Amino acid sequence: MSTPAPNPAQASRAAARRRGRYGAPALLLAPFMVLFTACTLVPIGYAVHLSLYTEHRSGLGFGGSETVFTGLGNYTRALGDAAFRAGFWNTAQYCLLYIPLMIGLSLLTALLLDSALARAKRFFQLALFLPHAVPGIIAALVWVYLYTPGISPVIDALGGAGAQVDVLGHPLSAVVNIAVWEWTGYNMVIFYAALQAIPREVLEAAVVDGAGPLRTALSVKIPLIRASITMVGLFTVIGSLQLFTEPMILHDVAPGVVSTWTPNMYAYSAAFERNDYGLAAASSVLLALAAAVLSFAVTRASRGRSRKEDAA
Amino acid sequence: MPSSALHRRRALRAAAGATATVLCATLLAACGSSGDKGATAADANDGKPVSLTFWGWAKGTKDVVAAFNASHPNIQVTFEEIPSGNAGGYAKISNAVKAGNAPDVFNVEYPQLPDFVSQGAVQDISKLVSADLKKKYLSQAVDLTTLGGSTFALPLDAAPQAFYYRKDLFEKAGVAAPKTWDEFRTAAEKLKAADPNTRIATFFPDDPSTVEALSWQNGAHWFATAGDTWKVDLAGAETKKVTDYWQKLISDDLVRSMPSFSQQWTASLQKGETAGYVGAAWGGGVLKGTVPDASGKWAVAPVPTWDGRPASGMLGGSTFAVSKDSKKAKAAVEFATWATTTPEGIQARIATGTSSMFPAAPDLVPVAKAAFKTDFYGGQDIYSVYVDAAQSIKPDWTWGPAISATNGSLKDSFGKLAQGGTVSGAVDTAQQATVAEMKNRGLKVNG
Repeated sequence: MSTPAPNPAQASRAAARRRGRYGAPALLLAPFMVLFTACTLVPIGYAVHLSLYTEHRSGLGFGGSETVFTGLGNYTRALGDAAFRAGFWNTAQYCLLYIPLMIGLSLLTALLLDSALARAKRFFQLALFLPHAVPGIIAALVWVYLYTPGISPVIDALGGAGAQVDVLGHPLSAVVNIAVWEWTGYNMVIFYAALQAIPREVLEAAVVDGAGPLRTALSVKIPLIRASITMVGLFTVIGSLQLFTEPMILHDVAPGVVSTWTPNMYAYSAAFERNDYGLAAASSVLLALAAAVLSFAVTRASRGRSRKEDAA
Repeated sequence: MPSSALHRRRALRAAAGATATVLCATLLAACGSSGDKGATAADANDGKPVSLTFWGWAKGTKDVVAAFNASHPNIQVTFEEIPSGNAGGYAKISNAVKAGNAPDVFNVEYPQLPDFVSQGAVQDISKLVSADLKKKYLSQAVDLTTLGGSTFALPLDAAPQAFYYRKDLFEKAGVAAPKTWDEFRTAAEKLKAADPNTRIATFFPDDPSTVEALSWQNGAHWFATAGDTWKVDLAGAETKKVTDYWQKLISDDLVRSMPSFSQQWTASLQKGETAGYVGAAWGGGVLKGTVPDASGKWAVAPVPTWDGRPASGMLGGSTFAVSKDSKKAKAAVEFATWATTTPEGIQARIATGTSSMFPAAPDLVPVAKAAFKTDFYGGQDIYSVYVDAAQSIKPDWTWGPAISATNGSLKDSFGKLAQGGTVSGAVDTAQQATVAEMKNRGLKVNG
């Protein structure tokens, strides 16, 4: 009787324990999975489904419409539309102007706050972060007010001083300005937190080695927070592709911001102005694909570089 | 086909339901269950009145509904105010129709009516509209609500054009209200000479309806039907005359270019930098609400014409349409008839003081006139200006079934005027965009 037969009560307890081991995680994950399915997978699937159909009428069109399958017809229509491609071009210009400017500014402010010389750090952190607490729509409305001649005290004051500024006539810089104002402080906080996490010994070693503050910042601090910079870059690229709120608000006051100024606005106007849900779905799917490709490229590029450095 | 449409609608409803519950998306939640609410209210009542849901945005609508409900125990209307059509109201209606929870009745402007009919969002109410009822409306308004021989809506207001101007500024510059477009240009020059900051009017780059009404006034026919084929002619000689004229006014800096009804526009009116407004009858109420401080300084004149003889297009104007799936069309038409053809309906709307609309039923003009307080216009009899203008509305204008594409294209092109675009070029582009969109929808078009 060295090995007692497994007692049935014990076995069932073990099974219960095993079930518990998988049951609890499943239970805890369930709300996420349900939400993820309902809010992400189902809408994506539905958008893909919608993008394959189009509404068709005949004759004068007063007999109502029928839904017909067009395959990739909506995709070729979206890609063939110069307005849709112009939207991507606008977004690209926006990225080229906005991303270096915003990341550069947040990095600079974070490094300044992190430097030993900075005074009133808490105050500046809060002051720089505050714009981000303002919702995007409100921010856009406030800026529209500041941009509009005849209403804006700033533009009027400049006009009085002899400088005629037409911000609304230059949608790109107008939108970039709003975005920089909104996001610089937010990303500065991320960079600042990353800088605070750098072990002080490393910085002391740099000082001992004779590096000045500038050299320390460029050769020690920035390389050490590369992961944060990459992350911010990635989020910014994806966020830029989704550019919608600010140009949409500007659209009402700056005629130069056409209804299809960004790909997102193109999808919006296709769906809600022209009632072409198939085209809207197809352009949204194309936009999602572009975001996926771009974020893959950004992560790949940054990983490639860090690996190269590890090897060196 | 019907099965796929049904399937799609069901899928849409499921998706909408899921999204609304999970995200509490305001839009979907807002339009979620108004229909059901009406049904339960009806069930609770012993007299079983029919309950209707109604979406609209026109000024004074709330009071109209209240007055109707008070006088009609058998029909109770639940009114929901939505953003004005182009500001998101039409999108909301289209979405609700797709999701299967559209209101029974909604407001559509004349230009968008064919678009909604062509989407299959509107019910044919020919059988519910008698010939006697049709006779009560201006024939031009009846034409615009009759598509392919069927009646699809009841007209609320006609929107004859009018020119609003600041009496004091015009007097200071020594000009009278212009009767022709040539005089209009001269007046613009004189006003600018008297005060370099003053312009006679505003070109609205965000709103093509003024250019459309002016083309209509000059005898253009942008859309016409022959048999089952559309004829699209946005860039004909009559239109070109109008667009070239306005292009010259813009190039010579004789008019302002600002978004319609924007803060910028309001500010320039308040400062007296804009001394006039080429609008329509309903604009009288809007102007009064926009610059209340200028009370007594404004006056209304007939819109200038090319040859000095009265002529007008229609700038907007609303109708009551019954949604495709509504099972209460009879009650809906009864409500729309009351709101558009009875003195009580018009009186309730205009007594709010914010609306100066011109009833599509001419018999009710005296009611409207009595209800609108004209102190803002120094007591001028503004409705007599509208009456003459309404009679001069050119007949046989038709709106196209893809007007959203037409207007979208015009708006985007007008936005490029500062970068070297032209008003004429905009109508050329819109012609192509409109024909392409109509072909894409499967319609027969002769470009």
